[in-house]
Amino acid sequence: MTLKNYFDSENYKTNFELTRATLPGQDVTWLSALREKSISKFAQMGLPGPKVEEWKYSNLNVLNSTSYETTNENCDSDEQTDKLLDQANIENINGSKVVFVDGYYSDKLSNIRSHNGVSLISLRELLKTNPGNAEKFFKTTPDENSLRNLNVAFMTDGFVLDIDDNVKLAEPIQVVHISTKSSDTKALRQNNYIRIGARASTQIIESFIGPDHINSWSHNVSKVVVEEKASLEVYQFQLEGDETIHMNECVVETATDAHFRHYSLNVGGKLSRTEVKPTLSGRHGQVELRGAFLGRNGNSHDVFTHMKHMVPQCNSDQIYRGVLDRGGKSAFQGKVLVAKDAQLTNADQSNKNLLLDRNAEANSKPELLIYADDVKCSHGATVGELDQEALFYMKSRGLETSAAKALMVEAFVAEVYQEIELGPVKEKYLSVARQWLEGKD
Amino acid sequence: MLEIKNLHVDVDGKEILKGLNLNIGPGEVHAIMGPNGAGKSTLAYAICGKEGYEITKGSVTFKGKDFLELEANERAGEGVFLGFQYPVEIPGVSNVNFLRAALNSIRKYRGEDEIAAVEFLKLIRAKAAELKMDPEMLKRAVNVGFSGGEKKRNEMIQMAMLDPIFSVLDETDSGLDIDALRIVADGINRMRGDSRSILVITHYQRLLDYVVPDFVHVLSDGKIVKSGDKSLAIRLEKDGYASVGIDESAA
Repeated sequence: MTLKNYFDSENYKTNFELTRATLPGQDVTWLSALREKSISKFAQMGLPGPKVEEWKYSNLNVLNSTSYETTNENCDSDEQTDKLLDQANIENINGSKVVFVDGYYSDKLSNIRSHNGVSLISLRELLKTNPGNAEKFFKTTPDENSLRNLNVAFMTDGFVLDIDDNVKLAEPIQVVHISTKSSDTKALRQNNYIRIGARASTQIIESFIGPDHINSWSHNVSKVVVEEKASLEVYQFQLEGDETIHMNECVVETATDAHFRHYSLNVGGKLSRTEVKPTLSGRHGQVELRGAFLGRNGNSHDVFTHMKHMVPQCNSDQIYRGVLDRGGKSAFQGKVLVAKDAQLTNADQSNKNLLLDRNAEANSKPELLIYADDVKCSHGATVGELDQEALFYMKSRGLETSAAKALMVEAFVAEVYQEIELGPVKEKYLSVARQWLEGKD
Repeated sequence: MLEIKNLHVDVDGKEILKGLNLNIGPGEVHAIMGPNGAGKSTLAYAICGKEGYEITKGSVTFKGKDFLELEANERAGEGVFLGFQYPVEIPGVSNVNFLRAALNSIRKYRGEDEIAAVEFLKLIRAKAAELKMDPEMLKRAVNVGFSGGEKKRNEMIQMAMLDPIFSVLDETDSGLDIDALRIVADGINRMRGDSRSILVITHYQRLLDYVVPDFVHVLSDGKIVKSGDKSLAIRLEKDGYASVGIDESAA
């Protein structure tokens, strides 16, 4: 596989030279060295082009015309941020809230509640107070993933959540990433780390939100470790503005008897890329991925999952639904690896797409690499239109065409979220989907 | 109530109805019988406004209104209900939500307020009990996984909830055992009244033992070829379509 450089990566290198002194932790030796190595490696590799299989459906040419310098810290919350926070808000959720504005932790907007055995801190704060502690979250050698290198080279902040063994958090933790008008033509790069100790459990609700007409690049990388018998549920809402580039990579490792669940909903962005990469490395691990993407008018949603079954007796299950209206585009790529010794694996995957207009595109590419012989793996991918017979049936009962379509599409999307036990979160998913549907003329 | 004059309907460029005339007055129950391929379902769809059923000539007037100008949902708003031969499955949409949305759409069309949630639930429970339907079925997705009989019973509860003044029942009796047939017939009879009319489309006379029609028409090759009272249905059952001069094999 050859990596094709789209454009002069020296751009980023120049950016780096100009901003490195202002990046957090510039006086932390290991970090400056890592940033340096990362930008060099990125400059060598460049951005992945269409010849890279994993990126064949996402045309990163859209990044070409903008320099995407690092955002500046935007300390003032104003009407705009309040409004965005309000839009991302989920009623009746009362746990800790961590808010980032343009890629920087906002102490003013956040509300971190102290809890025994739970450490929740912004990466920037950790680099100030205990940089040695942050080091263990990063590899000392540059990554083989060029975008991850770019992220590490420029990251301005992030959150670090460490939950001790046996701690079960009753209230979900909310994380909101806001981009403001000031982030136009700039990049927000955050790096997060989550560790759930043995037999511990928590839920994280993460929202990404920004105004329309802002060409910013919101780039998040999260590393997640779910220890033995621990449980983590992540609920993501991607509500970015219509011109925003959104990238979010979540790399997960689960231990024996661990349980990881990841929900997502993509509705915003010019180009959104959601990557979820769980590695099941302990027996009886269980991973469920659920997501929907709704696109129209220039939205391009790309969901990439890579499920790695490394040991026997684990279960994974993926359900993704896409709804594409006029001018919307999507790609689902679901890679499943079952290693040679991972016998008695159960791995299921389903991606169904609904096209509401002839001028819409959905791509679906399951990829199963199975090296064990005693496994149960399934995958299904469909692209279709609304059932005309059902539409007439509903109209004959008095429903207007638009209402009949909305009811059917809502049902199609709701399937993804039906198992959510957290009522307010489930309702938020459905109401965001409903709003998207109503936005249709 | 319903006046159909010289109706010609094309489906996929092929003429199915070839000059059909039918008048249905208030309080009347009409039955249309006829061999397969005569155009019975086409008539039902044309009355109710299904896309793809192209009216090339003639008129359909409902309570003095030109019906052909209206969308299918507007016709429902005017008080027309179509009972489907093959009720459609709608995954993920519960019967309750579907019926509430339908009822409120019709109310909106008529300029009425939405029904209160409590009132709606009372109504639907009462109708389910009348039709001996398990209330649990109302929570399930519309027709998904329903047996043939359950689907037809579901049509009946929809009809009862939407309370039409004119119902077209397209082979509602097909595929039913005798118990289900009785329940469906009972549902239809509940809809009878001085100001309501019903058009029953059926291949067999069986249903008409329970839903006794005022008029029976025989449809053949896109036209009504014979009309009479209920005795016509009995004659057809006994002696076949040939007895009224129809060569069934040609249809």
